Amino acid sequence: MNRNEAEQVKFGMAILTHLPKAKAPEAIWASIEAALTSRDPSRDQRERLNKSAIHQWRWAFAGMAALALFAVTFFSVEYWRAHPLGTRWEVVRIDGSPAVGARHFHDAAKIAAGEWMETDSSSRAGIKIGDIGSVEVEPNTRLRVVTAKPGEHRLALARGEIRAKISAPPRLFFVDTASGTAIDLGCEYALSTDEDGSGLLSVTKGWVSFQWQGLESLVPAGASCRTRPHLGPGVPYFDDAPDALKQALEDVDLKRPGFEKSGNNSLNIILAAARVRDTLTLWHLLSRVDVSDRARIYDRIAALTPVPAGVSREQALKLDPGTLNHWKEELAWTW
Amino acid sequence: MVTLSDREISSAIIESCRSGDRDAFRALYDMYKDQVYSISLYFFHGDQGVAGDITQQVFLKLITNIGQFRGDAEFSTWLYRLVVNACMDAARRHKPGAAISDRHMETFAAPDSQEKDYAREQMAHSVRAAVSTLPPKFRIAVLLRYFEDLSYEQMSQALHCSMGTVASRLNRGHKILAERLKSLGSTK
Repeated sequence: MNRNEAEQVKFGMAILTHLPKAKAPEAIWASIEAALTSRDPSRDQRERLNKSAIHQWRWAFAGMAALALFAVTFFSVEYWRAHPLGTRWEVVRIDGSPAVGARHFHDAAKIAAGEWMETDSSSRAGIKIGDIGSVEVEPNTRLRVVTAKPGEHRLALARGEIRAKISAPPRLFFVDTASGTAIDLGCEYALSTDEDGSGLLSVTKGWVSFQWQGLESLVPAGASCRTRPHLGPGVPYFDDAPDALKQALEDVDLKRPGFEKSGNNSLNIILAAARVRDTLTLWHLLSRVDVSDRARIYDRIAALTPVPAGVSREQALKLDPGTLNHWKEELAWTW
Repeated sequence: MVTLSDREISSAIIESCRSGDRDAFRALYDMYKDQVYSISLYFFHGDQGVAGDITQQVFLKLITNIGQFRGDAEFSTWLYRLVVNACMDAARRHKPGAAISDRHMETFAAPDSQEKDYAREQMAHSVRAAVSTLPPKFRIAVLLRYFEDLSYEQMSQALHCSMGTVASRLNRGHKILAERLKSLGSTK
């Protein structure tokens, strides 16, 4: 798409945004009511049911209900005995001799919520995460399955490295670490951490949100984010960003003395080195610096790519969530 | 434009619907009928008959399955998913490439339309025509993004796919639209 075509599409989409809503004809409700009535006996019809007939069948129904209750209870107890704490996930050995709990396995095994998996320096394993994806467990890794339910798949990574490949709607797969939680937004990524929470998140496909105590870093494909104990997720950066930018970000992430000061050198380096797609880094920095530096970051983003309609400088500097979110979604086209 | 997420569905209405309260269903219907009908109408090239059918199906399904709605999910997300499923199912049944009828397209030009400027109206017509020629997967993505103003995350939940897939469908939709708008523009 050349620039003219892109402009034309943008203009077209702006028109689409303002198209009027059509009024649903009243006849639709009438047809819904008619369909409902034909499916469900009306109250009048129900009232016409013969009460004496109900009496005759009362004991039969009671017997059937008791039988059904017994069957449900029996099968539930059997099911939970076989599947403690939810579903068990399949695990396979890739290399060496990984272990689930104290049991080493050589081909395949199962892991349930509450159980640990551990690999030594020569072991690797794979975990099938329900029906939403898989995780490769690298050597020297220790992790625990926290929750294994269809609505929540959660691991706790104590140390080591995993590679996750998830194909599912967002927020179904979580990995807890000592410095925060990686939340899958439909993606593939690698996450490594030490026991104290120092680590690195690198995304190869889709997006990951890394959160810690209200601080969030959104990391798209091709980008990474450092994690640090007691500091949570660092500012994300593209892996191909200039080295100077990545180096200067260390100061931000570590909150080295002097960084908070307006006009500090690290921020100057970041602003000077940033390319259009590094607005990923700049957008995240907006909410992590003081107001005067925030204005400089705003100006730099505005110089790199036009500020979209609906984003005002005033609201952005106030960190208005709606404004920042809208801006992020527009900037994301370049990320 | 008022979006679904801007509205608050009280748990009392949902609860009443669960217990079969017809008035509560009617209240829910009144809140969302225009939204559901409009998406269906734009999706099906302004075909009021199909849009009406889709709206009926969506609300019947909603009423029948309201017991399955989990309060922890946003109601609008659930409703959007029903709309998407109904539209995509109907698109599979209908022959693709139905002609864009001017009569149908006039449906959109409501008497109180804000599109007073002739050139803008022509452009709006071109955009609707171009959108209606997109393959269903891209068409629904474009409508949810721009007509309904959904975020990528909301879209991924409604379309039941990853955000990467959402971005990819939008991107491909944009490319096709660029071509269509160019050719539509050149015929004017």
